[in-house]
Amino acid sequence: MHAPQNLSALARKIGRTPAETQLWEEFLGKLFAAEGAQEEAALTSTLRSLAEELEEEPLAAKIAALAAELPEFPATRVFQLALKACGEKRREQEETLSHLRQMLAELATPIIRIWTDMLLVAMIGNIDSQRAQDIAERLLNRVSSTRAKVVIVDVTGVPMIDTVVGGFLIEMFNATRLLGAEVILTGIKPEVAHTLVKLGVDFQTVSIARDLEDALRRGIALTMEETRKRRELALSLAKSGVGENDERGAF
Amino acid sequence: MKEAPSNPEQVVPVLQIADFLLVPIQIDLDDKTVGLLQEQLLKEIARTRAKAIILDVRMVEVIDSYISYTLSETAAMARLMGCRTILCGIRPPVALTLAQMGIALGELSIARDLEHALVLAQAP
Amino acid sequence: MDLEKLEAILASQSHEFDVVVRIAKEEDIAVARQMAKKLAQEMGFSLADTTKVATAVSELARNIYRYAQQGRIMLRKKEEGKSGPSMEIIAADQGPGIPDVELVLTKGYTTYERSLGIGLSGVKRLMDSFAIYSAPGRGTVVVAEKRRRRF
Repeated sequence: MHAPQNLSALARKIGRTPAETQLWEEFLGKLFAAEGAQEEAALTSTLRSLAEELEEEPLAAKIAALAAELPEFPATRVFQLALKACGEKRREQEETLSHLRQMLAELATPIIRIWTDMLLVAMIGNIDSQRAQDIAERLLNRVSSTRAKVVIVDVTGVPMIDTVVGGFLIEMFNATRLLGAEVILTGIKPEVAHTLVKLGVDFQTVSIARDLEDALRRGIALTMEETRKRRELALSLAKSGVGENDERGAF
Repeated sequence: MKEAPSNPEQVVPVLQIADFLLVPIQIDLDDKTVGLLQEQLLKEIARTRAKAIILDVRMVEVIDSYISYTLSETAAMARLMGCRTILCGIRPPVALTLAQMGIALGELSIARDLEHALVLAQAP
Repeated sequence: MDLEKLEAILASQSHEFDVVVRIAKEEDIAVARQMAKKLAQEMGFSLADTTKVATAVSELARNIYRYAQQGRIMLRKKEEGKSGPSMEIIAADQGPGIPDVELVLTKGYTTYERSLGIGLSGVKRLMDSFAIYSAPGRGTVVVAEKRRRRF
């Protein structure tokens, strides 16, 4: 058994910053204290902290240095634990990264519930196949979960719409309509309109609004119209007596 | 609302509501079933003289070109018998797949949910 | 060149793939579709992409059944290429073959009476890569790939 002050001295020799020194001291203390099953987890967690403090290579070099100083240092085991700790650290970093990527994708194309039964999709930046599919998938899930009646797509922030991007948009509009929602497109700039007509992309199947205000006005009219029709339907069904004496109320 | 009398050739249940037929499709549509479905629907339309038929596809996980074709074809046939066909409850992944393949389902009216389907069914 | 590729794929062994479905009856179309869906789910494809894969396999299996009566659908995971994991889908048959491959990829073209003529062109649109090798009298092979989109 080593005297604690020896280990402290060693930790001071190895560590470059106070935080690092403290971690080494903690690590050596745990390593040469009681042996036990739960000890491994404690060692790994300290190594994890060291891995955060240092890069992987310096960490390995310092473990090697310790092994040289202390004859009874269990180098193989410590390396194994260090490897495990570094692996954990990397996995966590990757998770954070993919989480951030997803957040970025969502921030880049916000889908906002702007009115009762109405969503607004503001498309910004260049659109490629991968992004187009991500946006379409997110939009359709939102339309389905919110039961939106109208989707306003604002393309003011899209610098260029060629046949490829036009094709993505048409696919997204058609998919939205298959859920029973209406699409209102707005924000086509003069130069984009010029290119679209030259390329033969005419967006014939969606209604087009002059600006966001116009789109909103139309959208509201559409949702109110449907609400009115639904009310009428309920009334006429009640009058004709459908739903009475009905054992299968599930409908 | 009453359930139409069952017969052995039925592949789906058909519910009658006033002038409309409601058909929840809760089975995997393979090629044979989709053919039987068409036969059954046409018979029910003729028997009940329904104004509109509502196909609820909430449970259908795959609609490929053949199923689309048969559904469109059924709608065209129903139209000739004076009956409108309304599809409701298409799942988002199915809608994305159909759109990407370039399938439009032009013969059918598309509804958001059952209530919307009834609104469409009542339209003159 | 194409013919070599065609023969090589026709001769490929079942154990080289994760899933092999023989197509000989109409019901096998639904089986192939289910197997494709299961594999896509296992690989962590999004719900939309799982449906796209299942639909594409459904189209390919039906083409085999209709035009060649029998053949195989073969699926395999391809791990971590440059663009991440993907699923390879191969449809192989020793049927009559396709004389004009360009023509069958035209939307609306069909020789079958109950069809939108959208099958193969639809599969091509659903997939990230797509190739057909065919020789009259020898058979047809379709090789398609769908990448797992990452977030």
